[in-house]
Amino acid sequence: MTPTMTRYRSAQPAGRDGFPQLLRTEWTKFRTVRGWVLGMVAAAVMMVLVALLAGAGSDQHGLPAVPIGPGGEPVTDSFYFVHRPLGGNGSITVSVAALRGGISSDRAGLRPGIVPWAKAGIIIKESTRQGSPYAAIMVTGSHGVRMQDDYVNDRAGLPGAVSAASPRWLRLDRSGDAVTGYESADGTHWTMVGTVHVDGLGSTVQGGLFVASPPSVQGFGTVPSVATAVFGNLRVQGGWLGGHWKGGQVGPESRTFSGYPANAPGSFTDSGGSVTVTGAGDIAPAVRETLPTGGTIGDILTGTFAALIAVIVVGTQFVTAEYRDDMIYVTLAASPRRSRVLAAKAIVLGAVTFVAGLAGSVVAIPLGKRLAEANGVYLFPVTSSALLRAEVGTAALLATAAILALAVGAMLRRSAGAVTTVVVAIALPYILVAQIPFLPAGASSWLTRVTPAAAFAVQQTLVPYHQVTSISTPYNGYYPLAPWAGFAVLAGYAAVCLAVAAVLLRRRDA
Amino acid sequence: MYIYPHETTSTRLLTPMSAPAIAVTGLRKRYGVTQALDGMSFSVHPGLVTGFAGPNGAGKSTTMRVILGLNAVEEGTALIEGKPYRSLRQPLNHVGSLLDAAALHPSRSARNHLLWLAHSQGLSARRVDQVIEQVGLTSAARRKAGGYSLGMRQRLGIAAALLGDPPIIMLDEPFNGMDPEGIIWMRGFLRSLAAQGRAVFVSSHLMSELQDTAHHLVVAGRGKVVADTSVAGLITAASRNRVALRTTSRADAMRVLARAGATVTAADPDAVAVSGLPPDRVVTLLRDSAVPFSEVSAYRATLEEAYLELTRDAVEFHAATPAEVSR
Amino acid sequence: MKPALHAEWTKVRTVAGPLWLLLGAITATVALSAAVTSVMSCGAAGCGDDPTKLSLTGVGLGQAPVAILAVLVISGEYSSGAIRTTLAAMPHRVTVLAAKAVTLTGVVAAAGIVAVLGALAAGRLILPGRGFTAARGYPALSLADGPTLRAAVGSILYLALIALLSLGVATVVRDSAASMGVVLGLLYLLPILSQAIGDPNWQRLLQRIGPTSAGLAIQATTDLRSLPISPWAGLGVTAGWAAAALLAGGLLLRIRDV
Repeated sequence: MTPTMTRYRSAQPAGRDGFPQLLRTEWTKFRTVRGWVLGMVAAAVMMVLVALLAGAGSDQHGLPAVPIGPGGEPVTDSFYFVHRPLGGNGSITVSVAALRGGISSDRAGLRPGIVPWAKAGIIIKESTRQGSPYAAIMVTGSHGVRMQDDYVNDRAGLPGAVSAASPRWLRLDRSGDAVTGYESADGTHWTMVGTVHVDGLGSTVQGGLFVASPPSVQGFGTVPSVATAVFGNLRVQGGWLGGHWKGGQVGPESRTFSGYPANAPGSFTDSGGSVTVTGAGDIAPAVRETLPTGGTIGDILTGTFAALIAVIVVGTQFVTAEYRDDMIYVTLAASPRRSRVLAAKAIVLGAVTFVAGLAGSVVAIPLGKRLAEANGVYLFPVTSSALLRAEVGTAALLATAAILALAVGAMLRRSAGAVTTVVVAIALPYILVAQIPFLPAGASSWLTRVTPAAAFAVQQTLVPYHQVTSISTPYNGYYPLAPWAGFAVLAGYAAVCLAVAAVLLRRRDA
Repeated sequence: MYIYPHETTSTRLLTPMSAPAIAVTGLRKRYGVTQALDGMSFSVHPGLVTGFAGPNGAGKSTTMRVILGLNAVEEGTALIEGKPYRSLRQPLNHVGSLLDAAALHPSRSARNHLLWLAHSQGLSARRVDQVIEQVGLTSAARRKAGGYSLGMRQRLGIAAALLGDPPIIMLDEPFNGMDPEGIIWMRGFLRSLAAQGRAVFVSSHLMSELQDTAHHLVVAGRGKVVADTSVAGLITAASRNRVALRTTSRADAMRVLARAGATVTAADPDAVAVSGLPPDRVVTLLRDSAVPFSEVSAYRATLEEAYLELTRDAVEFHAATPAEVSR
Repeated sequence: MKPALHAEWTKVRTVAGPLWLLLGAITATVALSAAVTSVMSCGAAGCGDDPTKLSLTGVGLGQAPVAILAVLVISGEYSSGAIRTTLAAMPHRVTVLAAKAVTLTGVVAAAGIVAVLGALAAGRLILPGRGFTAARGYPALSLADGPTLRAAVGSILYLALIALLSLGVATVVRDSAASMGVVLGLLYLLPILSQAIGDPNWQRLLQRIGPTSAGLAIQATTDLRSLPISPWAGLGVTAGWAAAALLAGGLLLRIRDV
């Protein structure tokens, strides 16, 4: 018998084997398991539901209006003001020989102590209306001489604390909208601190002495404080009107003012040449601490945590299910270049999660905002670029977390362990920082810098101000890292884990 | 008696004109203290169904995984048409394989399972429907694979193996869980694939399943090949020129033949197996001693018997014989 | 019940996973407690914090491996198909779940004792060095102190209850990844979600009904009046969650096909 055997030739034309085919393969795998698609839908829906909950969760009708500064930001504008009207141009000069203070305490009632940003100095302000434009120069509790205007602007002058032995002389010179501040240690040698242009001052303004003392931050709470300053050498020149100084509290019932300590009201006494002023409050931008009822985009996006768990579960299963069902043999026999398989999985998963997360945040934010506003909740203002960053950043955060879960799943090849590792790595630091009120700032900032939880910085829409002491925790909406830097921390974890997973996948038997 | 169309070509296979479809050379692999592969070498050729037999733990599945580039080895090579599997660009166009029929996501339908696999090779959805029809799963193709019987999963696995219309088909224990009808279908199917010129490589731990299917056999034991031969060759070797004798005077026959130098073993009350003497000499001896007999024939071992003989020492887990138990 | 218990104990004992997870729970608890107590410091304004509670912070992390163990006790059987063998051998399904629950409670409580004592020992060693001294009104942690003993015993019970809650959830959900998602949602999500709600009354309500926020009230030894819920009532809430999850799991286990 003659061998007539001819080798079989595949009748199937060779298809393309590029990376796009691999992406298509993984996409087919993803979309054909209903649980995974539902998991992604659930992630988006949970973001929306929690946003609704956050929006509907509190009714703030009837609360006084939040004072708004010239830049549109919420402000604290409550302080003790000793003032006279100034028509047209003029200047005011004063020396400060003492700044003392008291902080509320459970045991002692009022213990001596000055908060870092207690302020005493001179101010030229459009009116006593809260939120009106101003320029001021002042001594502070522990930040030396400062010149500030319109709530958000701050520049430093001479450092050091003020005392009888080392007084500070301050001067403001108004010329139209331009206000120039000067400082001196002896009343003879003057230094210009700066000139600012205060829009909308008007021709007649209120000018004079002021004292403010913001609340003292302790743990996760604040207690009221008060400051007393002793002024001397008060001299005015130019168009000052009215014969005598009038004292009173600006914004005593404001939402951004937490009041005086018990039995320590604001006051001023003029004892011939020496004016003693006691005041509390602040002239500064409002932060979460001073406006705790204010809502943020971060609050509305709290559902991200729920979505996170859903996408982590799906991301893990996207690879561990292959091991559970032994389907990994089929996958790797069909596509022997293993790292490419992992890359295709990560890209498909990341893209799907990104779309779900973006859909969730784009729907959740306006809905939550509208509901909150309908309930009279004041929302901290957000620039459109910060809003876009929060939306895109949240989607990117979810996508990266899903990829991290995929990578950990590929390393551990077990679902329960992988899901737990990733969820705990992201959520636990956040919870620790939120639940241990007296955790030192260093430790809490470290936790939100080096753990994957850092990525939540993309949701920060609150603007941090160095000139306001506040509780800068993620819990309050402040993160130690810049938004995309925080995101980069999570991305770094995902990249490292993916690389390790790829090496293991190549080295290990399937 | 088994007559296979390609039996006569088996000698030609020893000097192949081109690279074999699958060439496995000197594989060694250790799992902890277990030497899973200990110099496994064989080759698989086109146009034949090559059976891969051996007891559980002989290294069959590991060898198949190594061939597919799924498991690494400490030593040795496994080549597909001369190339390592992991260098193949569209591997399913070269080798179609089925390792584990249960390897499916339970909530994905059969069609979708094949669809992702097709996409991984740049194949079209039309091809998916073709193979589904080929294995007779069309009516169930859109149901969740989690609800499939083992037999249906085997068919789905075969469909996956056929997807790239490959010249080499490799199946691990494809008869597992199949009903008799399915087994008959599978046998015919495998032989028709071989008749098309494909190399078909099928493992089984049950010889009876390979008996009517395989043209050529590779028998493994303890991680290496203990026999690499045609089915007929294996049976001839196991028969060892023995003579089967049927007689009513078994004791007399055994005495006469033993005296003439033969080794005689009793099979059942009226039958003995004789080795060491040709059949005509047996007939003469018995006739001369007036021992009655009804039949003398060449002894033909079954494939099962041949296999058991080959793998006796290679079985990893022996069932205790009654004698061993009573001790 | 006795053979079922014996069977479950044998299952737990004969694979390496549970032992590693229990060791992981102990390590996680002690390590986090040691880390947190060693970064705290007592300033001039006072220490502010509750030293017992701080020393037991690690329970919040130690509960994660405990939850994995509890989920795997049942979902592991579903993914491997061993559940069919189990239920064929012991057709009274509720007994099987009860036996799993008892075994789990036993091993988790045993690990919990080691974890909690380790965490308190770490706090006792570390806190005085961080300014929590008797002179400032913080005597060394001791189980002879009633509230500290209550916090310690309560934390062990809390870990056991979290295990039972996870077992119940996994019996309902069956898939291990999805079960883990639900359990972690209950453990870690509710405390975070309560922050989204601006209204303090709602916040307090959520803190009262959350299995972690309510249950961990058992760890507080100072300023009990400011807690959202009293210590034992809080642990009762966690027990309620565990009971509800086990009940739902038991019911579904009885009526569902395997």
